[in-house]
Amino acid sequence: MSKSLLKRFEWKDKLLALIVPLLVLVAWQSAVSLQLFSEMILVPPLTVMNTLVDLARTGDLTNNIISSLKRVLSGFLLGASTGFFLGLLMGLSSLLDRFVGPLIKACKQVPQFALMPLIILWFGIDEVSKVVFISIGAFFPMVFNTYQGVSGVPKKYRELARVFNYKSFRYLTKVILPGALPSIITGVRHSLGLSWMFVVGAELFGSESGVGYMMVWARQLFQIDIVMAGLFVIGIIGFTMNIILQIIEKRVLRWRVSFDGRMA
Amino acid sequence: MSIGKGILEIKNLSKSFIVDNNPLQVLNDINITIPPGNFVSIIGSSGCGKTTLLRIVLGLETNYEGDALIDGEQIEGPGINRGIVFQDHRLLPWLTVGENVAFGLDGKSRKETEVIVDEHLKLVGLNGFKSAYPCQLSGGMAQRAAIARALANKPEILLLDEPLGSLDAMTRMHMQKELERIWLFEKITMILVTHDVEEAIYLGDKVVIMSSRPGVIKKIIDIPFTRPRDRSSYEFMQIKSEILEEFHLGVEHPFIYSI
Amino acid sequence: MLVSITLPVRLILFWQLITSTGYVSPHILPLPKNVIKIFLSLFSEERLMLHIVISLRRVMSGFLIGIAAGFSFGLLIGLSRTGEKIFAPFFHALRQVPMIGWIPLIVMWFGMSELPRILVIAISAFYPMALNTFTGVRNVPSEYIELASVYGYKRLKLIRRVIIPAALPSIITGITLSLGMSWVILVAAELLIETPVGIGRLISNGRETCNMEQVLVGIITVALLGFIMTMMIEKLAKVVERGRSIHQEL
Repeated sequence: MSKSLLKRFEWKDKLLALIVPLLVLVAWQSAVSLQLFSEMILVPPLTVMNTLVDLARTGDLTNNIISSLKRVLSGFLLGASTGFFLGLLMGLSSLLDRFVGPLIKACKQVPQFALMPLIILWFGIDEVSKVVFISIGAFFPMVFNTYQGVSGVPKKYRELARVFNYKSFRYLTKVILPGALPSIITGVRHSLGLSWMFVVGAELFGSESGVGYMMVWARQLFQIDIVMAGLFVIGIIGFTMNIILQIIEKRVLRWRVSFDGRMA
Repeated sequence: MSIGKGILEIKNLSKSFIVDNNPLQVLNDINITIPPGNFVSIIGSSGCGKTTLLRIVLGLETNYEGDALIDGEQIEGPGINRGIVFQDHRLLPWLTVGENVAFGLDGKSRKETEVIVDEHLKLVGLNGFKSAYPCQLSGGMAQRAAIARALANKPEILLLDEPLGSLDAMTRMHMQKELERIWLFEKITMILVTHDVEEAIYLGDKVVIMSSRPGVIKKIIDIPFTRPRDRSSYEFMQIKSEILEEFHLGVEHPFIYSI
Repeated sequence: MLVSITLPVRLILFWQLITSTGYVSPHILPLPKNVIKIFLSLFSEERLMLHIVISLRRVMSGFLIGIAAGFSFGLLIGLSRTGEKIFAPFFHALRQVPMIGWIPLIVMWFGMSELPRILVIAISAFYPMALNTFTGVRNVPSEYIELASVYGYKRLKLIRRVIIPAALPSIITGITLSLGMSWVILVAAELLIETPVGIGRLISNGRETCNMEQVLVGIITVALLGFIMTMMIEKLAKVVERGRSIHQEL
């Protein structure tokens, strides 16, 4: 929905959209100038920008971003692909759905962060446990959305495939998967969003690299500029991921875009 | 007319569904033989089982009693010798019009597929819409695409389940003409289920009248007129009122009107 | 219904089955009966109760603050197009920052105290609530609003009698999602912002002492509590829905 809002924006709306960020900046800067807070609590916006540039220049930032992205990518791929296949199978087989479905729903009740200590006990505190943790975050939205999409393909299309003698593979690729695609893409988006949150969580929890690690470390040294820069970076990365997915969604779901003239 | 393949024989056909644990008879002792190349209209009020009859011929409903034979062979499932056009066009929204028409084509080379698709889009008057998506078509155009899809497989029998039911009156009359033209061109059997008496007479060589609960064939009327038919001719009106009489809707004096 | 009753039983049986074969080390997955034993002993010492009460207080305060703020904000940008244009872009931009990411900053501002924990939970409850309230308000059929204006409804009455009731299903969805989010973030907040009490503490204590049973007790407790609260909210939603349908029949 945010995109449809953004898309309809005219230049006037763009100006309106700048009001709040500008106010925040002004308030921020004046709070610093009036010395309302100590240096340890609030630094000028410009300092944060400078810190960001410095971090980028030394290569620290890039390295941390790369290791976070590596984690998020492997965790996401692992979790989302498992979720996709399980959701697909559950959507196709009511037997599997009846056996596995309630189990997965029960597992979803566990707030996934509670599993972090458990995962560390199982896999140690290194890279593997982080990837597993992220993949758990990625798994759930994917399995539910794929399942919903697959079981939601209208009966009339299934019937049509029967009339034309569609066998399993063609049935899957021409009817079921395209029909489930909108829901699957929603799953991918949620899944990637959660992966990104989970990687930050995992890195805050204990790590030797990554943007989250950079923030924890800076917090312990009372370098608030780095903490804020880190916050900015994870926001930008999250935003970029979302934009990329929207572009993919728009391309893949062309048939639907023209249908209602806007993205869901 | 030379006897081709695709003779449809229905003998003593009955079918019941289980509704709330009770059997509900929807078709009772249906008998009809349709030679290849005929156009048969089936008409009846809702609930007379005409759609069920069509679905049996299509192969979507099994477990019937009696015989439903094509060239002497029992119908046991869907097959590409039968095509269908549903009331809702059922074009897959994620495929282009061209891809939808090619939906049933299997094991053909890309080039062959292209040729067949182009040929059929042209037949139904949709050339130029090949790469459009179904959502960009009007109701009549979507139904044309659905007809092209059904014909692309070269079926011997084309089943039409109220294909024009959701179109507005003017588009509908136009599409009836188009259907006739396509039928004359393809020379295949067409079975049309409709609830529009005029449409049934305009298109059918025969009009089968069914009545409901349980669905039985009440009457089969031959339509001897030459094509294209004149809806406002006296004979046409005569038959129309005769059929309406069957539904107790007859008019005392059929009047002639022109469009 | 049957499924939901037998499922825990099946789960425990399955768990018993794989642990009793001896292939799985008890350090990886302890026997169910040992977990139950730890559970009972923690429960009888009243320590578990204390952890639960503290965690519940945290999650409820954060959740309530979050949904109150989210509702107001969603209503504001839902009712006013200008409000939407001014606030929505910033809101959507801020939403891109994973909630967990706020923790270091908030801790620096407020120290390792109760406030940052509640604040993080409130932020996480805020987003889904604001978003769903907004969507609900925007999707109120314009016919209803026209009708109300025919009867001369003034702004406040229009909001109270037409807009909010019509947006209610979406608002309830927002509440449910917010609650789920609050539970997820509760545990994260307790693990990342050190605290002497809370279920998160119980879990990380268990990890530090390699007490697998205690870790599992914590996880199961948190899952059960979350489940019970979700059920309660869903029940409430059903009651509200039923009230609506009766209202419509009258």
